[in-house]
Amino acid sequence: MILIYAGRVNWFTDRHWFLLAVIFYGLSTIYSVSLWRRGFRKDNRVNYLLLLAGFGCHVTAMGLRGFSLQQCPVNNLFEATMFVGWAIVTAYLVIGLVSGLRFLGAFVSPLMFFLGVFALMPALDPPHGPKPEFTGAGVSLHAAFILQAYGAFGLAAVAGLMYLSQEHNLKFHKLRAFASLLPPIQRLEIISARLLRNGFILLTVGLVIGVIVIGQHKDGYFTDVKVIWSLLVWALYLGLLVMRWKFAQGGRRFAWGAVAAFAFVLLTFWGTNLLSPLHHHP
Amino acid sequence: MSVVVIGLSHRSCPVEVRERFAFAEARIPEALQALRGAGIAEEAVIVSTCNRVEIYAATALEPGPAFAALKQFLLYALAEPQSLHHLFKVAGGLDSMVLGETEILGQLKKAYDLALQHRHTGARLNKAFQRAFNTAKQIRTDTNIQRGSISIASVAVELAEKIFTSLGEHEVLVLGAGDTSEKTARALMSRGARGVVFANRSPERAQLLAAELGGRAVPFEDWPAQFDRVDIAISSTSAPHFILDPPRLEPLMKQRRHRPLLLIDIAVPRDIDPAVNYLENVYLYNVDDLQTIADDYLKLRHDEIRRCEQIISEKVMVLLTPQNLRRQ
Repeated sequence: MILIYAGRVNWFTDRHWFLLAVIFYGLSTIYSVSLWRRGFRKDNRVNYLLLLAGFGCHVTAMGLRGFSLQQCPVNNLFEATMFVGWAIVTAYLVIGLVSGLRFLGAFVSPLMFFLGVFALMPALDPPHGPKPEFTGAGVSLHAAFILQAYGAFGLAAVAGLMYLSQEHNLKFHKLRAFASLLPPIQRLEIISARLLRNGFILLTVGLVIGVIVIGQHKDGYFTDVKVIWSLLVWALYLGLLVMRWKFAQGGRRFAWGAVAAFAFVLLTFWGTNLLSPLHHHP
Repeated sequence: MSVVVIGLSHRSCPVEVRERFAFAEARIPEALQALRGAGIAEEAVIVSTCNRVEIYAATALEPGPAFAALKQFLLYALAEPQSLHHLFKVAGGLDSMVLGETEILGQLKKAYDLALQHRHTGARLNKAFQRAFNTAKQIRTDTNIQRGSISIASVAVELAEKIFTSLGEHEVLVLGAGDTSEKTARALMSRGARGVVFANRSPERAQLLAAELGGRAVPFEDWPAQFDRVDIAISSTSAPHFILDPPRLEPLMKQRRHRPLLLIDIAVPRDIDPAVNYLENVYLYNVDDLQTIADDYLKLRHDEIRRCEQIISEKVMVLLTPQNLRRQ
């Protein structure tokens, strides 16, 4: 949306800032390809700085959108995807302060680039019509918790992918397994499991807030497609966690579970949003 | 005045010859004094290690007479610029028996410090050695000459570190106490493994090794019972058949709640059925797998020699520019 400051039109909108962020994520992705080829040995600082620059533009875009709406910018799919991406990059930038873990950017940047390109599709960001039926701090909190949960699930899937790649190389005695800077597979599994657990807690809190803030005031809340879908996602992640802790189904199966569950979220998030009257404001 | 080197190393003669030329550390200052006193060298450094004995000298003599004087000690002789090139190669580990090893750099520094302390070096050799140390550092940083493990034991340790978060939380089982399995167990213990269990058909050998490495010995037939405690197993028995196969390992993995298990099979004929590698969370490496990785690393190092030589040539050329020589 075009912003108006003191009577003049600011043509550089929040979407432009986000586009700039996606360009930085794209540059970082190109750079990551070379890092993959070289086994993450060097120059991870450049990747970190590119992601940091992207993050700066990303935050500016979110800030501009948030100030213009006077609430947390999570009212359509563009905003929601932008929020999930923000959670992922924030987590990476904090983790990347430890220089030994900075190479994770090589995995985060492609994810951010594709999320960004997806978010920029015009259909995902229709002009806001009348104010949504449910607004305010409770709704913002509900959306923020849930989207941060998806951010954590996204990072768990990234750790799962790293696990699968390294585990395959170790199983088949590839020199790549030794040459790469990836952490030990046991640590990758622990990281993935912790992210999944934290994401699950955030999702649970977000859903409970949703029931309290919206569910009590709206008939048909529990038959809404998005609500049913969210409960399904919640059950899916609960299943993964129970399988790991109760039935010792860790390792490759758990990593595949984390990747597949997040792929399911990515592929169905948009569709269920469009079908949900509660979450889609035509 | 130019820098010359005369010496012998593992490349030019066997240990039986090298040991005859080696200098005891306490004798080096005296030998340096003798070299300078006889007018053979103005400045001198003697490097004496298990693999080489070399004398670097800055001398006013022409190379021919200088070598003739020095040859009574050692066998190879090089004049500038090859002498400096040689020094830089030695510092970078390019002339070592184990290509790219770093121990020689420490030994070279020690030799130089000894000569420096006794004031047997001056502007020429000070600059040459300091440049050699800097170049060795650059080679280490900018090339892959020191990358990777090139022995079976060190590859096994690296492998364990790629699987487990911290070796301090994991115990090692050694089945059959052969030489390579013992070395591997020692390497794992030196990298902080929590403990080691020896199971050998001869209990005395197992007890001896356990006492030496601070581990424990168990009767050979009890080894399956150890599998719920250990996460790394090294096998080198002389059994003529597989002692571990999928039907035997599957129930053990259930007992372990599918924790990752690293199996290192050093035995020939093999002790572990290769099919166990298809079980989830099991990583099996036999002696050929480990040797292949070590060889790949060595090949990687050999591929870097040309890059290292190029760096060295540039640095030596800079050291020998007229401006640099005037300053010295």
